[in-house]
Amino acid sequence: MNVISDEARETVFIVDDDASIREGLCDLLDAVGVNAESFASAEEFLEHWSAARAGCLVLDARLPGMTGVEFQEKMKQLGILLPIIFMTGHGDIPMVRKVMKAGAVEFLTKPFQKLELLAAVKQAFAIDRARRQEEAILNSIRARFESLTERERTVMEMVTAGLLNKQIAAELNLSEIMVKLHRRHVMDKMRANSLADLVKLSERIKMQ
Amino acid sequence: MTVKESKRPSDWMMEFCVKPCAIAAFFVYVAFLWTLPLQHAIAYPFVFLFFGAIMGSAWFGGITAGVIAIVLSSIFLDFFFIVPLYSISVATKSQSFFVAFILCSIAITIISSVRKRSETAVRNARDQLETKVQERTAELQRSNLEIKESERQLRLLTEAIPQQIWRADGSGRIEYCNHHLCDYVGESTEAIQGEAYFNLLNPEDEPLFRQGWQAALAAGSRFEMEARVRGADNVYRWFLVRSIPQRSANGQIACWYGIHIDVEEQHRAQQGLVLAQGDLSRLSRISSMAEMAASIAHELNQPLTAAVTHAYACREWLSAEPPNFAKASAAAEKIVRESTRASAVVGRVRALFRNEAQLRETTDLNLLIQELARLLRAEAIRRDVSIKLVLANDLPHLAIDQVQIQQVLLNLATNGMDAMMQISPPRELIFRSEKHGEDGILVAVEDHGTGVAPEIAARIFEPFFSTKPQGTGIGLAICRSIVEAHNGRLEVVNSPGGGAIFQFTIRNE
Repeated sequence: MNVISDEARETVFIVDDDASIREGLCDLLDAVGVNAESFASAEEFLEHWSAARAGCLVLDARLPGMTGVEFQEKMKQLGILLPIIFMTGHGDIPMVRKVMKAGAVEFLTKPFQKLELLAAVKQAFAIDRARRQEEAILNSIRARFESLTERERTVMEMVTAGLLNKQIAAELNLSEIMVKLHRRHVMDKMRANSLADLVKLSERIKMQ
Repeated sequence: MTVKESKRPSDWMMEFCVKPCAIAAFFVYVAFLWTLPLQHAIAYPFVFLFFGAIMGSAWFGGITAGVIAIVLSSIFLDFFFIVPLYSISVATKSQSFFVAFILCSIAITIISSVRKRSETAVRNARDQLETKVQERTAELQRSNLEIKESERQLRLLTEAIPQQIWRADGSGRIEYCNHHLCDYVGESTEAIQGEAYFNLLNPEDEPLFRQGWQAALAAGSRFEMEARVRGADNVYRWFLVRSIPQRSANGQIACWYGIHIDVEEQHRAQQGLVLAQGDLSRLSRISSMAEMAASIAHELNQPLTAAVTHAYACREWLSAEPPNFAKASAAAEKIVRESTRASAVVGRVRALFRNEAQLRETTDLNLLIQELARLLRAEAIRRDVSIKLVLANDLPHLAIDQVQIQQVLLNLATNGMDAMMQISPPRELIFRSEKHGEDGILVAVEDHGTGVAPEIAARIFEPFFSTKPQGTGIGLAICRSIVEAHNGRLEVVNSPGGGAIFQFTIRNE
């Protein structure tokens, strides 16, 4: 398989200890044109995982070694934010509640309908996409902020805190003209159209 | 006088020479001194005072002193008062008088000393008696004190032992209770005496208790029974009441000693144990069945899921533009493979039951039923159900899987007891065994519940059909398959008495 091209594509990662289930799911997803990869255990999946991969995880709740529920927790600890679709032979209510609370997308009972699976996969892909987009935006904002000079960052902080040019000038011991100049550079570099835009951007950076 | 045995020679001299001589000399001298002046006033010769002296000597000094006094008196008389005066010789006319005097003196001495001796003996005897009486009295007082002390100790003991103790008279009437018992029931001894004692018992236990107590009284044998006794707080606790008879020397029962031992905790623990056992067996039965069902379901679900998924894929390949027949065919191939796998699971489950069926031993079914009834006893007591066995003799011994058949019996018995929970006691569960045909046996488990409605009876052996809220619906289905594996039939009929009869036949192959 071509790893480079795979990275761009959304993939369904199937983790089930039963080979025939893995095969069946891969076959079905292949038939409907969805990229799929399968792993026999949670450990095997972690070995092949890279943060650049996109898509979702279809996870059997009953796995030898690490169970599905334990794996969900482990992923959180490792910072893997891939949406999870659980599947099980017979779902017991406490387990369903637990994994759904922990953020699972769907809980499928075997044998499941094709449409159920595809809908869940679609939803999971959407969630993952939104997450990745959000991440991309944040990365861009962070990059813009990085490009500011030390002085510009200070000015930006004071501007977004609501200080007037005059106050900033007094505070930093600069002329008002210099403050205005810094301010324009900040607006340009951060690609902010208005003060309101700049405030929003600074909020998002601070949230990190 | 009592020290005669331990005499040394000097004491002996003192006793038999000096003392009698001194006494005799003293009396004779006194008599002489008095006679000297008196002889002129009274007719000649005056000798009476000498008799007195001899008598006195013999009395106080014994026979030795008496003899010495005779000798001395004779000398004095002869010398001073018998003519010729102041001479040892005796005139012929005075000889008879002198001899008479001596004879009289001897007589007096003997009489006096004998009297004295007997008096001394009497006094000694009296003294000894007195001493003995005193000794006896002291002894009596001492033993009285001892008895009192031991009685006090005994009472202290009975009061100190942290047990409830009572004493009843020979007829079984309670006459004494220690303070632990009084404190527990909150009554005085008087209020527990006699018939009132039975009012302390729980009315449910009282008739049996009274019966047992009467029997023990009649037999004079030890008594032991558990009963609930009401406390001062009006709460009944379980006590083990134990009593033993105390017999007097002639073998009659003098009294009964009884003790109440608090066994409430044991009772509660035991009850808890029985309950826990029941819960456990019920739980394990349900959970093992549920587990088995879950594991079979999982085993089946995997290939079915795979087959269904492949079927979806197959349809997708076929409905694609253009259809991908190669992939569709491969998917169809996999559907076949997975379906075969599912079928293999079913085969394995069946084999599981067949394998067990090979552990067959020739068995007396009646023994098996009796053993099961023993196992069920605790559960039956807990549920207030009595178990009755109506077993036919001369049943053939059959080759059966004992564990499986016992499982069937246990299942039917549990169902029977469950069915009777809605009705009030007495509840009776009957196991019946009888000959069936040439070489078969029919076993019936009969309850007095509400019976089985016809529409339920038609489905009751179906797997997953249950009328119980927590039932899995597997029990009777398994029972039927076990019975059928033993060439028999399991069926349910309603008994004329109203309950249900689950009966099965088994026979050798």
